[in-house]
Amino acid sequence: MPIESQISEYLHQEAETMECPPAVSKRIEQSYSQYVQRQRSKKTMKKRLISSFVAAVIMIPTAAFAAPPLIEMITRTPMTAKQVKMDAVGQAALEKLYRSYPETKSFEIIDASQLGGDPANASQGKAIQTSIVLQEKGAHGKMVRLDLNGITGEIEHVNQENWEPQEKPVISLTDQEIKSKVDDLINKLYGSSSKYECNMELMENSDQKTFILNYTEKGSATPFYQAFVQGNTISVSLIGGGPAPSVEGFFTTNGKPDYTADAFLNDEKLFSLLRMSPADLKQELAKGASVVEIAASKKISKQQVMDIIASTQAKKQIQADPHGGATNDNRTLEQLKQILEPKVLKVIEHKTETPW
Amino acid sequence: MQSESIYHVLTKMIEGDQQAFHALYEATYKDVYRTVSFLVDHPQDREDIMNEIYMQMWTSLPNYDPNRPFHFWLHGLVIRQVQRFRVKSWRRFRIFERIRVFSRQEHHWDQPTLRTDGTDPEISRAMHKLTDKQRTVIILRFYHDYKLEEIATLLNIPLGTVKSRYHAGLQLLRKQLVNLPLERKEKNNAY
Repeated sequence: MPIESQISEYLHQEAETMECPPAVSKRIEQSYSQYVQRQRSKKTMKKRLISSFVAAVIMIPTAAFAAPPLIEMITRTPMTAKQVKMDAVGQAALEKLYRSYPETKSFEIIDASQLGGDPANASQGKAIQTSIVLQEKGAHGKMVRLDLNGITGEIEHVNQENWEPQEKPVISLTDQEIKSKVDDLINKLYGSSSKYECNMELMENSDQKTFILNYTEKGSATPFYQAFVQGNTISVSLIGGGPAPSVEGFFTTNGKPDYTADAFLNDEKLFSLLRMSPADLKQELAKGASVVEIAASKKISKQQVMDIIASTQAKKQIQADPHGGATNDNRTLEQLKQILEPKVLKVIEHKTETPW
Repeated sequence: MQSESIYHVLTKMIEGDQQAFHALYEATYKDVYRTVSFLVDHPQDREDIMNEIYMQMWTSLPNYDPNRPFHFWLHGLVIRQVQRFRVKSWRRFRIFERIRVFSRQEHHWDQPTLRTDGTDPEISRAMHKLTDKQRTVIILRFYHDYKLEEIATLLNIPLGTVKSRYHAGLQLLRKQLVNLPLERKEKNNAY
């Protein structure tokens, strides 16, 4: 037998005796799952970067969970289009959107995610927030992003992008036209805008022309809806629905009060932990220190601050749940706290006048 | 698996479909594992390289041209990962050698496991005498039946280099096998 066939025969025989250890297969499978997860979160990140409006940074949520795109949440779980349609909250919101804007029926769900909860396993508890992004086909297709309160199903935030032709973006329209576009969006997705007084203002934002529209109820200090218009994007947030916080605008952005963190920082327990009055805290923050730094100067750790705020917010969350989806036990509380921590961290490390 | 269905599976895999991953893994892992085992002796290294190969596979899936044979592309991945691993372990070895020289400690290198069950121990031993580069060419030629031209493309080296490694490898094997005990030799020369 020539040596060539001998080698070939040997190699094939030898190969038959080689068994891939099951541990290897298991390890590779795990690597794949991790890869898929990373891919998904990268995708959501990227798309969120495109869709989330830069000026949304200066949103004014007084409701505890109403700051969706501002604070990028680490604990987001991606959802498939199918899961969105199975989800009660997602389904209701989609129906509303389709009714209000029939053309969106043909849009594709290009991204969806949940904060807290597990879309694949409803028994894991409800999501704090569900976000859905829909887009029309084509490079500059119309895009809508909805951020929904997972508990109440309310729309907390809407981003409407590319609804005007590229060559004539929404920001280039007249003030009157812009206002009627925003009115229309509020009327269709939230409810009537007519009982609110609207105050429209051009922001001192040197980089990009931005309008801010505050829809305020008569006699109320905080706006009920707040809209930002920039480029070809309209973004509306639901702000109202709760009492005005005792101290407003702990932080500022472009010299204007920034209400983003107020719901978290107006916390009696935090004030007593820091041994400060709310006014003092606001004053210290105005100097450019973060809450963590202020706490550190009093020998209070970041973890302590985070615990206090997360626990207040988690308790609020449990009370706010009218259907009893979140039960009032320690385990639920701890879980909620954990989900909230990245959000809290962002707030307590934030410095005034810096972008969120 | 046919090329067309492979392409379908690959597209699904890029989308993150677990089932597609399983299908592709089932269809390929034996071939990949055996190739790696021929080229790399130590079980732990094989395991690491396998993992690297598959990770590399799904991250570079978008680069795969469906008009070209999948197995050729896959073997390219295998070869590159094995080579990468060798460079890495060579670096480790260099550092290790230096430490050894300074500390004057004896180190026992792991002996490659020789398989004797059912296969020819002489060829096995002879195989281990080949250099890594020769062995790669021999495996691609005799286990995967690639032509020398294809091996040159896979290894990204000139055809002349492939030929010289191939002949040197064969010669070494022949020499080893010629030194066999008499009865074996007779059997080997039975043609």
